[in-house]
Amino acid sequence: MKNILNKVSKTLFGSLSAMTLLMMTFPIEAFAKPKKITVGYLNLVNAQLVTKNLGLIQKEMPGVEVEHIKVGGGGDMLRAIAAKQVDFGGLGNPPTAIGVTRKLPIDGIMVLNMLDFVEAMVVRTDANIKSFKDLKGKTVAAPFGSTTHYLLLQALADEGIDPSSMTILDLRPNDIAAAWARGDLDAAWFWEPNLDKAVKRGGNIFMTSGIMEKRGYPTWDVGVVMKSFAKKYPEYVEKFVKAECAGIDFWINNPAKTAKIIAEELSLDLEDATRMMKGTEMVPCKKQLTSQYMGTSDDIGGFADTLVKTSKFLVSQKRLPKQLKRKDYEKFLDPSYLEKVVD
Amino acid sequence: MNNNQIKNKRNIKRFIPPFMRKKTFAYSMLTVNILFITWVVVTETGLADELFLPGPLKIWQSFIEVSTEGYQGNTLFVHVFTSVNRILAAFIMACIVGIPMGVLMGASKIARALLNPLIEFYRPLPPLGLYTLLVMWLGIGEESKLALLFLAALPGLIIATIQAVQNIDPVYLRVAKGLGASKKTILFNVYLPAAGPTILAGMRISLGFTYTVLVAAEIVAASAGIGWMIWDAAKFLLSDVVIMGLIVLGLTGIGLDIFMRFIGRILMPWTRYLGP
Repeated sequence: MKNILNKVSKTLFGSLSAMTLLMMTFPIEAFAKPKKITVGYLNLVNAQLVTKNLGLIQKEMPGVEVEHIKVGGGGDMLRAIAAKQVDFGGLGNPPTAIGVTRKLPIDGIMVLNMLDFVEAMVVRTDANIKSFKDLKGKTVAAPFGSTTHYLLLQALADEGIDPSSMTILDLRPNDIAAAWARGDLDAAWFWEPNLDKAVKRGGNIFMTSGIMEKRGYPTWDVGVVMKSFAKKYPEYVEKFVKAECAGIDFWINNPAKTAKIIAEELSLDLEDATRMMKGTEMVPCKKQLTSQYMGTSDDIGGFADTLVKTSKFLVSQKRLPKQLKRKDYEKFLDPSYLEKVVD
Repeated sequence: MNNNQIKNKRNIKRFIPPFMRKKTFAYSMLTVNILFITWVVVTETGLADELFLPGPLKIWQSFIEVSTEGYQGNTLFVHVFTSVNRILAAFIMACIVGIPMGVLMGASKIARALLNPLIEFYRPLPPLGLYTLLVMWLGIGEESKLALLFLAALPGLIIATIQAVQNIDPVYLRVAKGLGASKKTILFNVYLPAAGPTILAGMRISLGFTYTVLVAAEIVAASAGIGWMIWDAAKFLLSDVVIMGLIVLGLTGIGLDIFMRFIGRILMPWTRYLGP
């Protein structure tokens, strides 16, 4: 009898304490767990497609609804961020420079990709364009405010060519492909998967973003998080970074499977997907913490310099009212989540 | 002395346009002022984020800057001129096509039956969806932009004209026919004068609708135009230029509307009331 009482009291005590524990932890859990996260990803060939396809973010966050939104380019992404329609996004360096200078509430948390020949300038073969000087009087398209628009103007400035000596049109990548097919354009600087459509219809690659990187103009996409989200759910930012890092590792270690995923996500031939993959440089998360990329929390790396250079250029183009100092751009870059994930 | 004062007052009054002397104008000004004061208060107190809603002073500065130095290679005047040109060209084309079509459809059941499916089908299509196709067919030049504006203007015109023609008192027609009027006389002396006021109302609504698709029409491959300026500035988060552009766009719209009412008053002096 005593034994039974003892058992009963023990179970009671056990379950009670368990319940109190649950009650104590549950509200906190519920408070710190977002119901839903929205990831805006760029319509581009990078490891975010792998992360999305394999559901890696979902695996990190059971019970959270994960929504992916495809965004055409940096300009549209900037608007989506300004309107607070996404929690996580991806931005090229020009839109990032714009966003940070205009004090959008975002933090840069990781390198999504470095842009090599996945972004390139295609010229109509029969237009006989051999140098930037040959572009005079021609019609050139680029999505304004994007990495390629920045590189186009930068390249023209380096060669001392007046941009007003040609017609430079603002078109989104899919519109470029359509206008190219009609023969309305002589040259266009944009990115895969639409770039390939222009190459296949009487075009050839004249210049790539990778070559421009070697000339001292690196372009990249950085993963950003809304400040308000990061403040509320810091662990979930970590989980997001962890998932994207896993996507990058998968890309590096399984090129064949990755190509298949990209072909599926973007409705491409396997052969095209394989080639486009090679044009995007993925940086393993550990390497992202070196001085060339994000750097560390104590010593922010080269991305800050790119932002300084990009905003300086945008100011000269009157697309930005003023420029900030390097330390302001350093504040935007926050490698602390990466540091936690890599350790 | 007293007489002189009265005279002076009359002289001053002469310089104020008649519509400003009305009481309703004072009420309209009240709304405008309240809006403006709210704007000032919200921005001055920091209630609104400057990135999304800059203060009136900032907008004024950007107006001056864009007017004198220009935005991306063109001054404000060029942007407005380009857009108003596009709108007017498309709208006039729509009037030339739409009003006769509407008269025909209003007067003849067969014409109505023949043309209705076409108009009823494309009328509710969102302009941007249509635009992709127009760009593929007509290219990225002026043609596709004008076509989009034209298609936006057309249905309102046709429908208003049909309504106008159908609402003509049949007695007018019978009298005209009974007196042996020719078809041409009936068209110009019965149909158009009787239907005129409703057609004009349709034209005003249709012009307003054309305005709503202006930004959409100038998104693709434009490098001038007030709609393009707004779109481009939004991309670079230059909200002062965006808001300034919207205000200028609105004012040109009001200007065109006043101009149309003025034309209406000259062409149809028998209709005294032409809406607010």
